[in-house]
Amino acid sequence: MVYLIRKILATVSFIISLLATSSLAYADDVITFAEADTITGESLINLIAFERAKARGVNAEAISLQSDDLVFQAVLNGQVEIGVGSAYAAMQTLGADAPVRNFYQLKKLGFLCVVNKNEIKSWKDLDGKPITIHARGSGTEAISYYMEKVHDIKFSEMSFVPGSEVRGVALMKGTINATFLDITNTRLVLASDPDKFGILDLGDVDGSDSLLFARSDFLKERAGDMQILLEELMRSAREINADPTLPARLREEMGLLPDLPQELVDEITPYFETAVKQGMFAEDGGGLPAALGDFDFLVASGGLKGPASNLNPDNFWNFELLEKAKSALN
Amino acid sequence: MENQLKYSQANEDSKLNITKVGPKTSLLFFRIISFFLVFLIWELAGRSDISIAFPPFSKVFLAFIEMILSGEFVEAYADSLPPLLIGLLITVVGGVIIGVSVGLVRSAEWFIMPLLIIFQTAPVSALIPMLTYIYGISDTSKIVAIVILGMPLVALNSYKGIQSTNPSLLEMSASFLASRTNTIIFVILPSAQKMIFAGLRLGISGAFIGIVLAELLITPTGIGDLITYNRFIARYDKMFATIVSILAIAGLTLSLMRVFEDWLFPKEKN
Repeated sequence: MVYLIRKILATVSFIISLLATSSLAYADDVITFAEADTITGESLINLIAFERAKARGVNAEAISLQSDDLVFQAVLNGQVEIGVGSAYAAMQTLGADAPVRNFYQLKKLGFLCVVNKNEIKSWKDLDGKPITIHARGSGTEAISYYMEKVHDIKFSEMSFVPGSEVRGVALMKGTINATFLDITNTRLVLASDPDKFGILDLGDVDGSDSLLFARSDFLKERAGDMQILLEELMRSAREINADPTLPARLREEMGLLPDLPQELVDEITPYFETAVKQGMFAEDGGGLPAALGDFDFLVASGGLKGPASNLNPDNFWNFELLEKAKSALN
Repeated sequence: MENQLKYSQANEDSKLNITKVGPKTSLLFFRIISFFLVFLIWELAGRSDISIAFPPFSKVFLAFIEMILSGEFVEAYADSLPPLLIGLLITVVGGVIIGVSVGLVRSAEWFIMPLLIIFQTAPVSALIPMLTYIYGISDTSKIVAIVILGMPLVALNSYKGIQSTNPSLLEMSASFLASRTNTIIFVILPSAQKMIFAGLRLGISGAFIGIVLAELLITPTGIGDLITYNRFIARYDKMFATIVSILAIAGLTLSLMRVFEDWLFPKEKN
């Protein structure tokens, strides 16, 4: 009996020490950025900023989660500090009491409508035809509804296939004829058969693709560290806008993403060249103009309940931090 | 004297009735109490400040009613039920046939058993995205996911049921010169019935896990879409209501399976 009690005590103390060690491991000051995308060459704009912020005493890291909704939930529950993505719809549901706010526009929408040219030559050809998009509530869904309005067409069906790479493969295999792809996958699909695949012009789509959002209490608590991070993020956006070859160069110099396969390394500069040409990286972190632009775009596309003029930007954004970082940088 | 006898007989009957009905009613009572306790704890936990993402039970219940009335559930289940039912049918029929055949025909064992054991132990959620490479994003992928998750459980339990037939029963049927078919129908299958139905219940649970996993991992449609979309727009009450609806339907299916089992093999009366 005594032996058994000893064994139980030993097991309990082992579990407690294990828990204590793991909680110690978590109790660090690293600011975690979570996004629903794999960390590839496209993430270099943040990774360069993180590296520079590290030199100024602020540690940040990027992790991937499975989906945008999981990212928002993780931020809401305080499991990660910063979310990368778009969470307007969730913030609207939670209302003014939402404990989470956007504070920086990382990227504007950079999707392209890639089609099988043999079947579809213009937007009118897509009237009554199906289109494949990322997921319900995603930027690609917003663009689809927006295009329906702009071109006065109606898609027969919107099917959801998460992941640009998966939709790209489906397009190449001939399973689908029209979808929205990110820049890298658009390049891959077009290169696979330039005679077969083409791009439909999206016109003036001005919405955010990736925003940074965090809990308001965290932004207050770590305001100093966040200001440094925002300064570095803006600095890296401005430098990349001036020289799109910079990310590939700095990747080697800083030793970032060392395991990236060569074919993806080769895609870094073409991606940033196209992205810069499309004006995807705002030099001032978006702020109020980005918020108002997003309201217009998302209300028009059904992603937010409108009218846009009734939406209060302060219920969705914290502008204070960005303004401070901007004046410090300027 | 006769009256006295009748009276004592009736008395006995009423005693019997009490002993028969008693445990059943108390079981139902305890089940209701257990549900009530779970919902009460859920309500209290939801009202305490754990997370906005964890609403109290009352809010989820209201969302549940709202989703029934608005037709959201009807629309979602219209998408999810066809692949689920086809998958369930293949799982149940195929699983029992495979399990029973492997149990009866030794030569089939070496061929099928390793496959079943691999699928039973494999991390299926990791395999599901691979199904899209073979079957695309169609309903077929969902059906295959359901079958992979459910069928090994049905087949392995049916196999074990057949294998564990009491040898003395087999000897008895041999001594009565029963034919092979009669031995299977009247001795082996009834003896394996409990294990087969245990496998069926596990298989049905597996099938429900399969459809939800497939709809979350392959393409968000039906109930998978309701879960992901409501999580996306932070309607956590609706997200939990969807999960509760799946649990309710799975529970109902398992109860129907129990009724079917009792009807097929009535319990022996004392």
